[in-house]
Amino acid sequence: MSGYQDKRVVITGGTSGIGLATARALVAGGARVLVTGRTPSSLEKARTTLGPGAIVEASDAVADIDTLVGRAEQELGAIDLLVLNAGGTAASTVDDTTEALYDNLFELNTKAPFFTLQKFLPLIPAGGSVVLTTSVSNTKGIATTGVYSATKAALRSMTRTFARELVERGIRVNAVSPGPIDTGILERTMPVEAAREFLEQIKATNPMRRFGEPEEVAKAILFLGFDATYTTGTELVVDGGASDL
Amino acid sequence: MSRYDGKNVVITGGSSGLGLAAAQYLVHNGARVLITGRHRDTLEIAGEQLGENAITVESDTSSPAAIDALARRIEAEFGTVHALVLNAGIGSFDAFEAVTEQTFDEVFAINTKGPFFTLQRLVPLLTEGSGVVLTTSIANQTGWDALSVYSASKAALRSMARTLSRELLPKGIRVNAISPGSIDTGKLDKEAPDKAARLKAEFTESSPMKRWGHASEFAPAVAFLAFDATYVAGIELVVDGGESQL
Repeated sequence: MSGYQDKRVVITGGTSGIGLATARALVAGGARVLVTGRTPSSLEKARTTLGPGAIVEASDAVADIDTLVGRAEQELGAIDLLVLNAGGTAASTVDDTTEALYDNLFELNTKAPFFTLQKFLPLIPAGGSVVLTTSVSNTKGIATTGVYSATKAALRSMTRTFARELVERGIRVNAVSPGPIDTGILERTMPVEAAREFLEQIKATNPMRRFGEPEEVAKAILFLGFDATYTTGTELVVDGGASDL
Repeated sequence: MSRYDGKNVVITGGSSGLGLAAAQYLVHNGARVLITGRHRDTLEIAGEQLGENAITVESDTSSPAAIDALARRIEAEFGTVHALVLNAGIGSFDAFEAVTEQTFDEVFAINTKGPFFTLQRLVPLLTEGSGVVLTTSIANQTGWDALSVYSASKAALRSMARTLSRELLPKGIRVNAISPGSIDTGKLDKEAPDKAARLKAEFTESSPMKRWGHASEFAPAVAFLAFDATYVAGIELVVDGGESQL
């Protein structure tokens, strides 16, 4: 395991699932990590899981960006890796999609990462990097994901433009694109029976016939964040082969 | 304990450039590595650099008989293989109208057919959970001058990352590709000495990072795909300073 001694990392949406797995790997490798989350129960769980090596900050991805940047500066000074992982999902057919759902999801998944990066930039030195969490759905037509997929497609696009604008400052920007990862998010956002059915169907059609683990995505985030020094603007899919095979 | 202790890795085209850098990285992290190359002197130098955890085998990937012999040697040395890096390849810098059939056949034999049959022969030695990495090139996505044959041979290889991955997943073998951009391996100076200086200056200028990549920046991508990317199959990971994306 390569060490992350004294690396300073901020992970939005870092109190559960992929974000938490990434934080755990970093803390184990000696990094100083600040994670954000919204729900009190997952914030509490993250504090227990991560221990004193991490700062766990309640933060609404949209509303509290300035406060968050201030806290990160005070705690960490500069940031070597910013992981913009906070996001939400909502299953809704095009017929059923309200403007409110549309606006909420774009605000959370697209606009918040955009301005979070903008406001964090003064803290990221040359040699630093940014990883955005997109989704394999941004290149596919999957029923009921019209808004979600579009928010992630916009984020994938930003990966390229940010990378171009920041390359001269020595900051790399890449995306990790998870496929079906067992984070529990579906069970939390869909009716239990529907979620179970959907999960079984995904498993049956995935080339690896299984879900991915959050830890498997965390490794990709850390690779892009620290090892991929000649890679910028890319999207690395972690999906059991679903989008390529 | 090092990260790749006990891992057996085979790297074709491992005696120079990207392959050698990958071998150095993996040996440094505990793996045992078998590298192939076509030139005995280059192999010997590489073997000395890599030390006792490396085996060097002279082998021409364009020869089916050599591939058979290589497979037998690997079985004798390692028994089983945890990572296979099919990196042997050749450049070709002729303008389209100047390409001869001989050049065409040679490039495809080394860059496309060699990796295909090397993998076919080595499947019985690959363990469940093993990773295969194919070295493609960002040229396979772009239309560049004087690279028609090379780019096509690498596009065919990129396609194989998908189909061979699909066919081998039931055996627990993942196949992925790494697509290097402008990485300075010395190959350009060797294969196109008359054009090297001009091409290098052009690539430096057009690269978003305004520099060539170093072979050592390729190596962690090989290790990531071979060992860490356990839920990744059929992809092509670009290591190109942003050139194909920005």
